[in-house]
Amino acid sequence: MNRLLQGSAVVGIGRTKYARASGRTALSMAAEAARDALADCGLTPADVDGFTCFGTSGTATPSQVAHAIGVPDLGWSLNVSGGGNIVTTTVAGAATAVLSGQADVVVVYRVLGSETRYGKAAGPITVGGEAQFAGPQGYLVPPQWFAMFCRRHQYEYGSTSEDLGAIAVQQRQHAARNPHAVGRDPITLDDYLNSRWINEPFRLFDCCYEVDGAVAIVVTSAERAADLPHKPVYLLGAADSNRFGGSVDQWDDMTSMFSRDTAPKLWSRTGLKASDIDVACMYDCFTFTVMATFEDFGFCAKGEVGDYFRAGRATYGGDVVVNPHGGLLSEGYIHGMNHHYEAVLQLRGDAGERQVAGAETALVTSGAGPFGGALVYGTATL
Amino acid sequence: MTADLSEAFSFPPQPDPDADSRGFWAATAEGRLAMCRCQSCGLWLQPPLERCRVCAGPTEFEDVAGTGTVYTFIVQRQAAVAGYLDKVPYVVGLIELDEQLGLRLPGRIVGVEPGEVVCGLRVQAELVDLPGGEYRVPVFRPLGAE
Ligand SMILES: [Zn+2]
Repeated sequence: MNRLLQGSAVVGIGRTKYARASGRTALSMAAEAARDALADCGLTPADVDGFTCFGTSGTATPSQVAHAIGVPDLGWSLNVSGGGNIVTTTVAGAATAVLSGQADVVVVYRVLGSETRYGKAAGPITVGGEAQFAGPQGYLVPPQWFAMFCRRHQYEYGSTSEDLGAIAVQQRQHAARNPHAVGRDPITLDDYLNSRWINEPFRLFDCCYEVDGAVAIVVTSAERAADLPHKPVYLLGAADSNRFGGSVDQWDDMTSMFSRDTAPKLWSRTGLKASDIDVACMYDCFTFTVMATFEDFGFCAKGEVGDYFRAGRATYGGDVVVNPHGGLLSEGYIHGMNHHYEAVLQLRGDAGERQVAGAETALVTSGAGPFGGALVYGTATL
Repeated sequence: MTADLSEAFSFPPQPDPDADSRGFWAATAEGRLAMCRCQSCGLWLQPPLERCRVCAGPTEFEDVAGTGTVYTFIVQRQAAVAGYLDKVPYVVGLIELDEQLGLRLPGRIVGVEPGEVVCGLRVQAELVDLPGGEYRVPVFRPLGAE
């Protein structure tokens, strides 16, 4: 059986402003992004019969958001529990709902409000599950988990702070051409190296920029997409991987991430390979997430990411443009849904001064560490 | 960010044991480090489970030697977790216990300067009181160091 998703397409994209502290509710922001995405493709709430989102806390539910924009009777409604790891599952889930006929038009969104700040000091709390072993040690928040991976990679492959800095500097350079980005002031490698330590080996500029905001995309059938205003962007294929129950500490090889397992599945389902990709929206909660997943997807060998970036191969005029919007590091942390927005914008040819010339395929990854997924969009079906 | 040193933030997160993990905390309270182990196939399981993930056999907590190797580590510089806001810098490692390849426990690495910790460092567990409650937790000290 063919495992492609290309009978479905993204036809509309929408978002709010991204702000450090919006003062708005999650529901209001999600409603705005959903309305914006529907307006973008000339559909109305009455055309929508599916809504889905993902989140860990502080989200607004699909039925609430659908109600808030006037969807009379929402059919397919799926609230997925998870973070960056579950974006692909959620978007591909919308596509499968469309392909199976469970829904005709699905809005997929992610909203983050100020009450969700993963980098915030936590406490006083009690911790259950696996965190009961970690939290009491002063080890509880995401920058700590992924710095553990990074350290092991440095030990085994000799990657350096300068390599991480090359990623941070380049994404900031890309964000400078993105009016929607919150972090647009250019940084140099020295600025990176002089930024304060968070937890070694991570500095401030290794960490994403947490913001309030929402992104929504509209998924429907390729058939229906043909009648809508924009050039359809097809979901070609997707794959996910989950090992070790999501445990960071028990993940066997911390120089790699979920992408070690996802990449071969994705490439085999689509028949594509890294060199076929024009735009790579790599999930980048931290610089090192880009490094590990970029290697795993086969863009370069282990330990070569720093040289790859320094040689200009990951930007305009190179082999593939990585995070042209600036990513979570510089555009803002909308948990990876903004990567989908950017991929669609680029494949439509509507990215303005940061347009990647002739972009036909975009890889969007989601997640870090032991679980995540990836999806490929294309301007044409395979 | 400014460290909030008010009383509410002065104690570390406290464990909330469940039926599967209770044996770990019962052991540390008695001064032993014990991990969950399948009684049928001998596999060590972390986090603990009621039944083995491979053979579904029953599990028990068994004492471990407490020796292991630093698989990876971080040096915490920013105040990020309650109870540690005024304790930076400190080092947390993922310690691979000698009993089984890949069997790891997170723990602070003590008795060594942060700059001297390396992957591959041999360490030994010791149990210390966790401020703010009844629990004792393992920390790890380089083998041979006092
Ligand atoms: Zn067993």
